[in-house]
Amino acid sequence: ESHTQYERVGADVTMKCGSMDWDAAVTWTANGTDIDESHLNGSYLILKNVDLSQSGQYSCYEGSSWHLKYQTYLRVGTPPKEPVLMCRSNNYPKGFYCSWHLPTPTYIPNTFNISVIHGTKDMVCEKDAVPKNRCHIRYLQLFSTVKYKVTLTVTNALGKNFTTLTFDEFAIVKPDPPESVVAKPVPNNPRRLEVSWQNPSSWPDPESFPLKFFLRYRPLILDQWQHVELSDGTSHTITDAYAGKEYIIQVAAKDNDIGTWSDWSVAVHATPWTEEPKHLTTEAQITETTSASTSSFMAPPTTKICDKGAVVGSGAMAVCWTAGLVVAAYSVLFI
Amino acid sequence: MAAAESPSAALRRRDLCSRGIRLAGKMRADVVDLLDAYVEQQGLDASASVAAVEGVPLAAVERWDEQTGTQRLLENLAAYRAFRALLAQMLEEQREQLGEADAGLGRALAAVLLQVSAFAYHLEELLRLESRGIPGEEGDEEEDGPPPPPRLSLFERKLRGLGVLRELAQWAVRSVRDLRQLAKPSPATGTAPGLAESP
Repeated sequence: ESHTQYERVGADVTMKCGSMDWDAAVTWTANGTDIDESHLNGSYLILKNVDLSQSGQYSCYEGSSWHLKYQTYLRVGTPPKEPVLMCRSNNYPKGFYCSWHLPTPTYIPNTFNISVIHGTKDMVCEKDAVPKNRCHIRYLQLFSTVKYKVTLTVTNALGKNFTTLTFDEFAIVKPDPPESVVAKPVPNNPRRLEVSWQNPSSWPDPESFPLKFFLRYRPLILDQWQHVELSDGTSHTITDAYAGKEYIIQVAAKDNDIGTWSDWSVAVHATPWTEEPKHLTTEAQITETTSASTSSFMAPPTTKICDKGAVVGSGAMAVCWTAGLVVAAYSVLFI
Repeated sequence: MAAAESPSAALRRRDLCSRGIRLAGKMRADVVDLLDAYVEQQGLDASASVAAVEGVPLAAVERWDEQTGTQRLLENLAAYRAFRALLAQMLEEQREQLGEADAGLGRALAAVLLQVSAFAYHLEELLRLESRGIPGEEGDEEEDGPPPPPRLSLFERKLRGLGVLRELAQWAVRSVRDLRQLAKPSPATGTAPGLAESP
């Protein structure tokens, strides 16, 4: 008959060999390896100040017959610390989700229990299969001033802990970042970049619940961002870009009326259009130019013609170095 | 009434909705500012929970997305009419309580009251457009919208005021959403969803 035993890190553990008398002759093993007699007090096994490495299977055998008298699985761990809980609505007005985790591991199994109360009403937060530490709730009412109270309790064999969040419907609204951000140069316009994006796919009804957007952009070589807030539309033309400089661009979204801004979208890079002749510079000219310039860029090996500046961001970032560097080198000369 | 909506009526409705959305947006911003001033001036805790106050129309609604256009307009109108009376009452109490001590708060209250009245009128316009009869105001001169409150203590009146303003702020957001729904053209017939009704 096998047991499981949970003990705290640092505790002193005494294991009895089942129903054997204290003065019986026994042998203890830990994961199959004999344990030295110095750890024994009669037939009891004494483990002082246990640590995580001492978790394992402990078995006790009768001295002469080697009959297995007792077996237990020792699991060393800690009681749970106060869990970290977060609730958010990225799909307003459908509902919201809560997710949680422990700040430090306990090394033993934990059970999480979540309760959601709206005023006096108990609501059910349906646990997601993936990810595990997450549940979601559908709003039964909209525009309520009554707050929601979410309590998360975590329990394991060594103790329990809990945390509570109280919030109102509007406060937790935070959309996901905009998707499919694209930045393109505008032909024959050396200071323009055309940026477009899409509403996050998790936002269920952008027509009735429109989003507003915040665009930020800067040339790679500068630290200062430029900002533009846009109350509608999913595109914008930057008209004050530095000619020939590669830009980094991001967009964030917010419900038009309530809640907070999303995280920034994936960054996209783009360089404004420049005139053709510079674009088709020969190798000789590049070498000559870059050696004369004050730029610290390296001379590119070839004059690669590529789709300069047009980059689609969605995790993939194709940076067109060659032509961009040539142009940048020229621009530095002209500043 | 005719099921189909004339193009000019559709345009007028969309125009009224856009203006209504702007009105409600401005009203909400002013109510939020007023709330901050009120909380500070009255020495209240901004996070205090206020139980549902009698006579204050709650913005909370179930199955909001299933409401018809007419329902939205009627519920909004009833709410803002109630707020008109409630704010007038608050203004009166404010003057009694403080006299000239805080003209700023009184002015802000009066400004919001004006916007609430204007919005209620705007809703009536929208209802008129749908050739809906505009419901008469509840009760006559003798009994106002909200029942005259039992003589509340000063503190209770302050909390009540907080409840009124909070609920009004919620309504302002809801009204924007309601008007956006109203402004949507219905796909098949070209009428607004829920507004076309047979007699």
